[in-house]
Amino acid sequence: MTMLAGIGFTTPWLLLGLLALPILWLLLRAVPPAPVRRVFPAVTLLLGLSDDESLSDRTPWWLLLLRMLAVAAAIIGLSGPVLNPAPVTTGSGPLLVVLDASWAGADGWKKTNEQITAKLNEAGRAGRTVALLRLTAPEPLQFQSADAWRKRIAGLLPQPWQPNPDQITASMDQLTAVDHGFDTLWFSDGLDYSNRDQLTSVLRARGKVQVYQTTTNRLGLLPAQFADGAIELSVIRSHTIPEQQVTVLAQGVDPGGTMRMLASATVDFTTGADKASAKLILPSELRARIGRFELQRIRSAGAVALTDDSLRRREVALISSQTDNEGLVLLSPMHYLRQALQPTAELFEGGLSDLLPANPDVIILADVARLAQNEEEELTEWVEKGGMLLRFAGPRLAASDISRNEEHPLMPVRLRSGGRSLGGAMSWGEPKTLAPFQQDSPFYGLTIPQEVTVSSQVVAQPDPSLAERVIAELGDGTPLVTRKALGQGQVVLFHVTANAEWTSLPLSGLFVEMLERLAVSTAAKPPRADELEGTVWTPISVLDGFGRLGEAGTLSGVDGPDLMEASAGPNLRPGLYDSGSRKLARNVLREGDQLQPASWPSDVPVISSAAAPERALGGMLISLALVLLALDVAASLAVSGLIHLSRTAALVLGLTTAGWVCLPAHHAQAQQGADLLGLSSELALAHVLTGNDQVDAIAYDGLRGLSNTLLFRTSIEPSIPVGVDLEQDELAFYPLLYWPITPDQPRPSAAAYARLNAYLRTGGMIVFDTRDANLVGSGASSANARKLQQLARSLDVPPLEPIPADHVLTRAFYLLQDFPGRHQRGELWVEAAPADAEHIEGMPFRNLNDGVTPVVIGGNDWGAAWAVDDNGRPLLPVGRGFAGERQRELAYRFGVNLVMHVLTGNYKSDQVHVPALLDRLGQ
Amino acid sequence: MSSPTISQATGLRHRAEIEAGSLPPLLVQAEQLAGSVLLGEHGRRRAGMGDDFWQYRPAQPGDSRNLIDHRRSARGDQQFIREREWQIAQTVHVWVDQGGSMRFASKPDLPQKIDRARKLALAASILMVRGGERVGLTGTSLPPRSGNMQILRMAEALSLEDNADYAPPEHHSMIPHARGLFISDFLGPFDELQLALGKAADRGLRGVLLQVLDPSEEGFPFTGRTLFESVSGGLRHETLKASALRDRYLERLAERRDALENLCRATGWRLGLHHTGDSAQAALLWLYHALERTK
Repeated sequence: MTMLAGIGFTTPWLLLGLLALPILWLLLRAVPPAPVRRVFPAVTLLLGLSDDESLSDRTPWWLLLLRMLAVAAAIIGLSGPVLNPAPVTTGSGPLLVVLDASWAGADGWKKTNEQITAKLNEAGRAGRTVALLRLTAPEPLQFQSADAWRKRIAGLLPQPWQPNPDQITASMDQLTAVDHGFDTLWFSDGLDYSNRDQLTSVLRARGKVQVYQTTTNRLGLLPAQFADGAIELSVIRSHTIPEQQVTVLAQGVDPGGTMRMLASATVDFTTGADKASAKLILPSELRARIGRFELQRIRSAGAVALTDDSLRRREVALISSQTDNEGLVLLSPMHYLRQALQPTAELFEGGLSDLLPANPDVIILADVARLAQNEEEELTEWVEKGGMLLRFAGPRLAASDISRNEEHPLMPVRLRSGGRSLGGAMSWGEPKTLAPFQQDSPFYGLTIPQEVTVSSQVVAQPDPSLAERVIAELGDGTPLVTRKALGQGQVVLFHVTANAEWTSLPLSGLFVEMLERLAVSTAAKPPRADELEGTVWTPISVLDGFGRLGEAGTLSGVDGPDLMEASAGPNLRPGLYDSGSRKLARNVLREGDQLQPASWPSDVPVISSAAAPERALGGMLISLALVLLALDVAASLAVSGLIHLSRTAALVLGLTTAGWVCLPAHHAQAQQGADLLGLSSELALAHVLTGNDQVDAIAYDGLRGLSNTLLFRTSIEPSIPVGVDLEQDELAFYPLLYWPITPDQPRPSAAAYARLNAYLRTGGMIVFDTRDANLVGSGASSANARKLQQLARSLDVPPLEPIPADHVLTRAFYLLQDFPGRHQRGELWVEAAPADAEHIEGMPFRNLNDGVTPVVIGGNDWGAAWAVDDNGRPLLPVGRGFAGERQRELAYRFGVNLVMHVLTGNYKSDQVHVPALLDRLGQ
Repeated sequence: MSSPTISQATGLRHRAEIEAGSLPPLLVQAEQLAGSVLLGEHGRRRAGMGDDFWQYRPAQPGDSRNLIDHRRSARGDQQFIREREWQIAQTVHVWVDQGGSMRFASKPDLPQKIDRARKLALAASILMVRGGERVGLTGTSLPPRSGNMQILRMAEALSLEDNADYAPPEHHSMIPHARGLFISDFLGPFDELQLALGKAADRGLRGVLLQVLDPSEEGFPFTGRTLFESVSGGLRHETLKASALRDRYLERLAERRDALENLCRATGWRLGLHHTGDSAQAALLWLYHALERTK
């Protein structure tokens, strides 16, 4: 492959074709353009005229240039140019492949693997032996054939840590153990770490060193901090150059139990900054669900920050016996608890039955002796499921006989009656101080201030199990804090009050620390190493190099201070650790970490692998040639006058403009619902807009005619009818919707149907008019009837029947027996009468529906019969002659009855009783 | 049996509708154009003018009552009818070149030459019919008659098209001592025209030649390598440099016009020139006066 300014050619000899370009130029120049054909009747006068100048017309230079470019592009394209062709490394002798194999390279691991495979293939072809060294997990070097390594490459995985000094030392030991020289290929992850320089010099002493390294910016996510009610997410990067935006996702378990993204935040890097952060404010409920933060689209352990208890504010329920105590604040036990817990926990106060369903983490009973039976059962159940019940003693507890003779399930020990007083006016002894905490106590390691004394307490009865339940005691050995496990939860009893009445403990800082150790409250920031002195943490789940969380299996525990301070390695894997009831997350990166890009000595060749991959340019150039040739076709046509550039351009422009102009045409939607106030103050008949202008106009005119009739003949005085758009307009103002059916009207949306159904249920009436005479109901043969079926499918329509002779519609205002519109014979369907409607002897009609039929379905095209023009004259002919006028009159009467029916409901139906009433009045 | 008749009838009707579709615009245009010319010095010879009294004659059964002259009849018991003078109307033969060369317009906003020619011919015919003349086409297809129906027939006959590129003038069955109106571009073979005019002059026919040309035929605004074709494509001439031909073309055009002038002078005809880019009204006025003077 020949190289030329970063571009290589696979078949460079084809470039010789470029030499032919000048000849082509001369040739193309001589060919005249095609003649223009013109119709010219006076050609008779031209016949016989010869050209004086027989010079050929020349092709314009720019057209020539275009053609030259096209040919040149085709020639170069065919010669197979490749941008950034991969250099071929040659060499002989053993080859050492060194991998950083840290989390930083996990994101591009697949690509690295491919590169290693390629190099192994090369080495295999050259017959070189190969050894592989992972700096994050050094093993003795084995120089084997490349094929043997190729099978093992798939098993090489990045580790979730950087090579630490111990591992570098181990690696160097392995290198010095090899007694022959070798060349080195170093696949670096692009990050600096300590002692890397030493390793480099050791490797260079043995042979040539070549480094493969990506130039991509390495990103790392620092552990999430919780401060001032917000989660602070910090991202660091190895290069400070470009402005960059990184999305951090918060993953967690949703209420359904599945892992999903709960929130996300965007972190903006400015140029020159290697660290940026964003604040995420979430409700505590959501915050508690977050299990991990990760950088979007980066698969690396360094891009994951696991969360532990530090993000959770524990929910603590405070329950005291003195609920409505109006005493002094400082005497209330709740005051001290509140002061201690407020900064770090969510506090709830109230009755037990109210708070239990909220499932708090901790329930504190301050001097509560007796609970109701069912409360006690629920509380026990809650503790057994993992809750923590913290009880404080007090005068009431001391006075009660709870846990006296036998141990109460919600008390850790049995109590003696009364308790004891120390150092009072009537006693001999001094107030007692606390004894140092035992090693197995959760309080082990806390310093006890001298001024903490206890003057009163309740006393545990000696039992066989007492010793193991004591976690703090007084100087004389009497238990101060006792604890027992109950199911998965625990019950803890402070044998003193939570106020300063019996002891000065609540006044000291020790009280807060003890609560913390009991995990009643957890500090927002991760504990310092010295706070964890003496604790052992066992891993629950650990991260792999790609940031996936896996089971810890049989990994051994870690000392508390190490967990916080030691650097990650095979003995301290990043992951979630557990000690007692507390959980801690150890992340790959810690607060204060920085990512330094690796720098190499100037004579070590660094090949940036991912930055500029090999790209074949042939296809691009050939397509360029094709485009140029297409342009040439257009240009040649234009030159020879066969197409007119200006006209084509005008056409294209015109089309574009037309498209533009057409676009906002739909803006002119009439604002019909604007005058809602006016609509609510006056009655208006409404018709549904079908989209068919003619039908809508007739419906409007029809309702106008009906409105006029109502105005003249009845006390109903409707205003101007309204066309209703079902998708937008409020329906509540209209007592009656006239809905003419057209076969092509669109189906209303789901929201519109919801409104229509609500309208029907609240007493509205829809008059469906299929306008096809008598085809309704008889098998739905017409297009309109089928459309009606489609439309009404989603409507809440009751069972229907053909209108019975004694329906209210037949006598709401006029006495009617048929209901003609423009058509005469159509049947009318209304809501079916109840099954128990009976004909009473002596009554003219049955006592029917106690309401208004929500739908009336017919096909007589009433709108057309009612329709009047602006002058009030009938718009459309109905029937013939006088009979037709009679038919129109009946149509109007039907309309009047319809509106009367919908407005007066069953009033006329009640007239059934009038004869009886008159009878009685007469007597 | 009945269905072929019906389909024939409907087919005829259909074709008639299509044909009639082109007539009214031509008629209307021609009427408009004719209406713009006021008949000033030319006397009207229409019925009912009253100037050209001939005689009273007693009314006979079958005479219309309208014709009774009441002033004359009131003098006696007999009813008289006023008869007008029998006037011999002039006969005008119209020939419009329907050939392919006339169906040409160099720009879309210009009318085709044939449209202009038809319009002028029909408008002149309307004027002459109004003046009481008898108008017809040369040849046997439409002999000269008077009356408004003739205008319709003229319009119909003028709407026909000839497929030949250059149609020779029709010179058969011309009535002696009549008038002639020949409208064409006169770009076709010259001897045909010479023959037609010679024959007309032999019969004592005199009249007007109107040459209708497109502006591009007068200006020759072409450049570059061009292939000139007649309308049907039958004649071609290719040039490599059209601009170089311009002067010689104009020379030939002037020659052709000179030849026409000479021919007209020899036969007593008048020659007019009209460009489709100009107003048709001016051409009609000129035509009208020219026809007047050739009497």
